[in-house]
Amino acid sequence: MTKTKTGMIISALALLASVGWAQAKTVCYVTAADAHAYATPANEALEARAKELGIEVITLSQNFDVQTGTEQLNTCIARKADGIILWPLDPQAYIPGLARAQQAEIPAILINSPMDEQADRFIVSFTGPDVYEEGEMAADSLNDALDGEGAVVVIAGQAGNGTTIGRVGGFVDRLTEVGSKIEVLDTVNADFDQQKALVVSRDLITRFGDGIDGVYANDDTMARGFIDAWKEAKPGEPMPPIVGINGQKDAFVSIKSGEMYSTIVQSPVEDGKLAIETMAEILDGKEVDARLPIPLTVVTKANVDSVEPAF
Amino acid sequence: MTMLARLVRYRVTVILGLTLLVASLTVPGFLSISTLSLGLDRGATIGIIATGMTVLLIARQIDLSVGSTFALAGITAVMLQPAIGIWPAALAGVLAGAAAGAINGLLSVVFKVNALVATLATMLIFRSIAHWLTDSQPVPGTDIMLSVALSKIYLEIFTLRSALFVGAILLLHVWLTRTVAGRNLFAVGSNADAAEASGIAPGRTVFLAFVFAGALAGVAGVLQSLTTNTGSPVFGAELIVTVIAAVVVGGTRIEGGRGSALGTLGGVLTIAALTTAMEFQSVPAYIQQVVSGLILILLVVLDRTVRPGPRTHAAAGASG
Repeated sequence: MTKTKTGMIISALALLASVGWAQAKTVCYVTAADAHAYATPANEALEARAKELGIEVITLSQNFDVQTGTEQLNTCIARKADGIILWPLDPQAYIPGLARAQQAEIPAILINSPMDEQADRFIVSFTGPDVYEEGEMAADSLNDALDGEGAVVVIAGQAGNGTTIGRVGGFVDRLTEVGSKIEVLDTVNADFDQQKALVVSRDLITRFGDGIDGVYANDDTMARGFIDAWKEAKPGEPMPPIVGINGQKDAFVSIKSGEMYSTIVQSPVEDGKLAIETMAEILDGKEVDARLPIPLTVVTKANVDSVEPAF
Repeated sequence: MTMLARLVRYRVTVILGLTLLVASLTVPGFLSISTLSLGLDRGATIGIIATGMTVLLIARQIDLSVGSTFALAGITAVMLQPAIGIWPAALAGVLAGAAAGAINGLLSVVFKVNALVATLATMLIFRSIAHWLTDSQPVPGTDIMLSVALSKIYLEIFTLRSALFVGAILLLHVWLTRTVAGRNLFAVGSNADAAEASGIAPGRTVFLAFVFAGALAGVAGVLQSLTTNTGSPVFGAELIVTVIAAVVVGGTRIEGGRGSALGTLGGVLTIAALTTAMEFQSVPAYIQQVVSGLILILLVVLDRTVRPGPRTHAAAGASG
């Protein structure tokens, strides 16, 4: 008896409440983390752009915990958000949540990281960097630096990691495509870790020494590892051209001082902005592409002063 | 009984009520069946593990490895799917959880390693095995549609796992309050020597408590893997703190001998309601954890400063 009464009050309250927030569109943003070198500026840019667009954003941070994220998707659905932006940390785990969002007719998009193909039918779009293209751009840049010939080493990220596969694959394919005479001496994994990159670079320098004409590192952190190893092994000798990715502040410093040749800026600000802009278009009923890459900029000494570092 | 003592005795209910009240006043649309259902489902994973942890804490033991067991059971359930089918694999996952619990029990009872130390070690070992089995990569399951089906909501409130949680906690309540074995558990937790003198086998009780806790962590892990169609070595890495918090908020004492199943239900619901309410308001994750921590301290301090009369094991902190 009391139960029915409570039930009635609850539904009355719910009804009242739903009238209250019917006007502004609400987007649920399940982000990777709220205190992180890359994620924080991306979140801030997304929220700032949302304000300009007149969209209310509920930001939920997974703190890099997939389980939290899958539960937060449910929160988004229960909160009856008008759209969901998800930063996936796992290729599969969010699929049931995304399926439920689709059942509830809430459009969802992915930001920054891809998921498995099985997720494709539950999402409207995926906005974020194209890691394969980053590899291609790195190949072009190193090709320019070496005038199309020479022997290089590749310091790759984690084996099996999607970003590593894209960044190495794009690089190698592009070199073949443009008919470059650049020869890859060796590709080693250093897990996006500066210390590991230092260790593998020492080995590479011992093995190939002055035979190394150029270096491609899958990110700037590992490029730093090679620079340190070179300075240690061959103090005073000119550094071979090094190409990195990410556009970190310290890479900009290295480019200015001539220790690095180039980096590729993958801007978290653009990452965040593109996601909310895409969602805004979806909410306006417009068609959007299933894959929307963020702009990437190659930074060399020529433009290092006019480009903002990514983070 | 004085007003204050009454408040303290039913503090979980009071805090839960206050949380719901504040949330419903500040978050539009918070009080609804769909939120209740969400909160329950959200609490279910923590709750199933907390059910096992309640038994362990009453017996004056602890299991820090439940998060790793959770991951290991889920991985087992997913990796075996292609070989033996979904349901046998799920059963194997639960058994893996029970086996992990048995290892903890063995270390604790036979080798007399302090439970805190033993399960700290197995926490690291089980987690590493999970990484080793999977090469640190998430493993996808075979049937994504099953995952979608498993997260279906029944009677507008229950998902499979939230129903399992509520069922498990009610059964535990009956077992703790109505059976001899249940009462023996309190005796072992209060004073193992006295319990042994009165004919109870504390070693056996403690061992079985570990197996029970491990099996339930396994059930939670298998359910998690089935609903996400993924076995991941990083699943459950943050669970243990929340689980212990939920049990302690529910009035079960970490020093053993006192606790209740319904209290744990209240504790789990309180934490789930808090998380959901704060998420609805976009409160940053780190502030959420500060709030949860403060509530935990508040409840424990209340428990220490105002003692509500004599020890009543089943009723302490029970949510009415």
